[in-house]
Amino acid sequence: MGKHNLGEFEEIVLLTVAILHGEAYGVAIIDEMESRLGRSVSIGALQTVLRRLEDKGFLTSEFGEATKVRGGKRKRFFTVTSLGKTTLREAKEQRLSLWKAIPEIALND
Amino acid sequence: MRSHDNIQPSKFWLRFFRWFCRAEYKEDIEGDLLERFEANAENHGVQKAKRLFKKDVLKLFRPSIIRKLEGNQKLNYYGMFKHNLLVSYRNFLRYKSAFLINLIGLSSGLACTLLIYLWVTDELSVDKFHKLDDQLYQVMLHHEESGTLNTQEDTQAILAEALEQEVPEIEIGLQATPSFWFGKMPLTTSEKTIKASGRFAGKRYFELFTFPLIYGSATSALENKESIAISESLATSLFGDPGKAMGQNIKWQVLEFSRELQVSGVFEDVPANSTEEFNFVLPFDIFADILGEGKHWGNYNALTYVKLTKGTDVDQLNEKLAPFVKEKAPKSNVTPFVRPYSDKYLYSNYENGVQSGGRIEYVRLFSIISIFILMIACINFMNLSTAKASRRTKEIGVKKAIGARREALIWQYLEEAFLMTFISILVALVLVVLILPQFNVITGKQIAFQFSSNLLILLFAILVITGLIAGSYPALYLSGFKVTTILKGKIKNSLGELWVRKGLVVFQFTLSVVLIAAVLVVSKQIEFVQNKNIGYNKENLILFANEGKVTENLDVFFDQLKNTPGVINAGGTQHTIISGGSYTTDVHWPEKNEAVQTRFGNMTVTYDFIETLGVDIIEGRSFSRELTTDISKLIINQEAVKVMGFTNPIGQTVRLWGKDMQIIGVVKDFNFSSLHEPITPMFFKLEDQRMMNILVRIEPGQERSTIDRISKLYKEYNAGFDFNYTFLDQDYAIQYAAEGRVATLSKYFGGIAIIISCLGIFGLAAFTAERRSKEIGVRKALGASNSNIVRLLSVDFNQMIVLAILIALPLSYFLLKSWLDEFAYHIDLEIWHFLLAGLAALVIAWLTVGLQTFKAARANPVKSLRSE
Repeated sequence: MGKHNLGEFEEIVLLTVAILHGEAYGVAIIDEMESRLGRSVSIGALQTVLRRLEDKGFLTSEFGEATKVRGGKRKRFFTVTSLGKTTLREAKEQRLSLWKAIPEIALND
Repeated sequence: MRSHDNIQPSKFWLRFFRWFCRAEYKEDIEGDLLERFEANAENHGVQKAKRLFKKDVLKLFRPSIIRKLEGNQKLNYYGMFKHNLLVSYRNFLRYKSAFLINLIGLSSGLACTLLIYLWVTDELSVDKFHKLDDQLYQVMLHHEESGTLNTQEDTQAILAEALEQEVPEIEIGLQATPSFWFGKMPLTTSEKTIKASGRFAGKRYFELFTFPLIYGSATSALENKESIAISESLATSLFGDPGKAMGQNIKWQVLEFSRELQVSGVFEDVPANSTEEFNFVLPFDIFADILGEGKHWGNYNALTYVKLTKGTDVDQLNEKLAPFVKEKAPKSNVTPFVRPYSDKYLYSNYENGVQSGGRIEYVRLFSIISIFILMIACINFMNLSTAKASRRTKEIGVKKAIGARREALIWQYLEEAFLMTFISILVALVLVVLILPQFNVITGKQIAFQFSSNLLILLFAILVITGLIAGSYPALYLSGFKVTTILKGKIKNSLGELWVRKGLVVFQFTLSVVLIAAVLVVSKQIEFVQNKNIGYNKENLILFANEGKVTENLDVFFDQLKNTPGVINAGGTQHTIISGGSYTTDVHWPEKNEAVQTRFGNMTVTYDFIETLGVDIIEGRSFSRELTTDISKLIINQEAVKVMGFTNPIGQTVRLWGKDMQIIGVVKDFNFSSLHEPITPMFFKLEDQRMMNILVRIEPGQERSTIDRISKLYKEYNAGFDFNYTFLDQDYAIQYAAEGRVATLSKYFGGIAIIISCLGIFGLAAFTAERRSKEIGVRKALGASNSNIVRLLSVDFNQMIVLAILIALPLSYFLLKSWLDEFAYHIDLEIWHFLLAGLAALVIAWLTVGLQTFKAARANPVKSLRSE
């Protein structure tokens, strides 16, 4: 077990950032989650989690180029750090080992 | 996605977001918000998009997004504060000489100010400690004499009682004698005799004057004629322990009077800030018995104190009191009035019935001096920091280029000034603590240094004011530079700035010259007063009290005294000789205008007294033992002759106290009271009893052995008594000690002011020489001589100093003239006083500037020219 336990929402955000791979910024992440999971997320909730993940060292961010849209404001692109990747993998393996441990009969209805 | 220029989210919510959001998140989140808004507007219409925008903003309003309450600005201020401190510290290190000059100047200036503050508060506190201070008044009398009013504190012994009974505003009327009237009186217990000073006072003395009683009560301490209240220290020396004193018997005596008394109260020692210093108090009734029939409206033999009812209008009361005595005694020439008891010390002088200053003048004088000194020290700081500005222009330029605003720079320089002042205050406090014991010796005070809230407020005020004054000009001036000119190195000292700096130096030196002139004249005047020809030789005269068995055998004692080797002559008198004695207006002569009263000094003396004192007899003769009728003869002074209008005074008859007395001699005018007052008419009257003081003239050169012999003789009469004597000239010095102290103090403070000024121009000169080192090098290389260079560098300073002297001379002339006019006897202002002051300033300035310029001129030009 890793030291850093991820919350459910944290894990989803981290995974979405990984999916978007280099194109992950606020609105894009929200849209991605909405389209894949049908889950609507407010900017406030997302930003809070993003900053928290950044503080924990799972994410880094940098500004992109300014464009004409968005009132000329730059986007902040998030990428998963290697610590973030390790933590994700650990989380996945935990789940898998749990899945494997389930007797086949238990999940059959 | 297209941008919709015309479709905008609500400005209010956007602004709200910008207001609360953390700075570091602001840009990208705002971008996200706008992107979402644009997308929503496209998909769902503007109205819904606006609603969603609002929802998004509100949902962002959460702790992790909202900026910290304290904000980043405060952190930034703290950072700037730290940075400024660091820069100041580095500057101090880098320019050590300027730092030291500022530190020495400011801290010594501040130390002076603090010492003067301590002195002034101590002066102002004198006599203020009585609980009834605001109701406690003293009754004074204006005597109308030959057309002018003469104000005295001596009153009729019966005045107090009459006032208390007849004037409703006066709650308590109390009579007392000043403690100096009887000098030290012997008090005898079963075991020992101790001499101490005391006063007679009315029954309610301790109710009116709240000297705290340790034993006994304020109401009963002086209740009956056998009571005596003694101080704690006297009780300790008489009985070993103040607790044992109550009820003990004490025999008191003075002259031929003596009483058996019982201790009825022990009071705490009289504090140093009381004008009356005494060790015991006797009931006034004892004194009244001694006075006997002397208690009437024409005799002034007590002080009168009153307690006024609360809220009394003093001006109205004085109006009402004015005819009080004249109604009782129609022939009287006195007008009573009341003045606050605590004004006695500071506001003691009256001129023709009008209050005309007193020691308060010195308080004001020193307050002004302290402000002068502080100003001079501040000017040093201002001048040096602006002069050094050129060295810091790069710093300012870079800061401005990076984006420092002017306010930030102003703060930086103010902060530096405050830091400087703060360090100086700390140094000054240390200095004050170190100097205070010596200061107490000079001022004759017992000031203790302790932090009071007033002192802290003062220190804070000084910090703020000095910091602002010293820092404001450099701060405003330095921060105003233009970036481009600075960085191009084109900074030129503007004409205006030069003028300000020169103006400050001129101002500073004007103050210094005024101070030098003032110190010179004040000390000359005080010396003049102390060494004024008083009409007799006050050296080698000793004075002691006539007491004990000496009183009973006075003639024999005098015979033996005169035969003692080393004694030239001896005589007795009722008079104190130096601080005044009794007066009478009951003198009448044939041509006298009876409507005008004239006060005569009354000097009752024994045979040989006039010879002992050494007053010149210019007409007639002195009292003679051969002629027994001399008891009804008078000797008068020249002033009396003038007042009475005699052309040939010898043999004239005047009426004194209802008796005809013949004038047998005239003495040259001499001083027999305060040197501050002009000589008044007086007479010598012969008597052989009741002499309070014995005056002995001894041969110079062997004072010690002569006094030992006199002491031995005295002890043959008064075994167990200490022989206490004083030298008349020392008494004089003590009498005028206050002036002497002022003279000494003003010399010190004047000196310090000049030193601080010199520090300032020393710094400026050093700086100028340094800045012009290249110029000097080139000039020298081209053949200029040392003296050329010195002249070149000092011409500026000479101009400033000469200008300062020109301004200072008339200023000091007027100031000093008005000060001198307050003295009855004063020196005339002479041109050399001012020339000397000016010259002194010039020479001191030359020396300080010369030292620097000479050093600069002698420097090898290679050194300054080699490096570029």
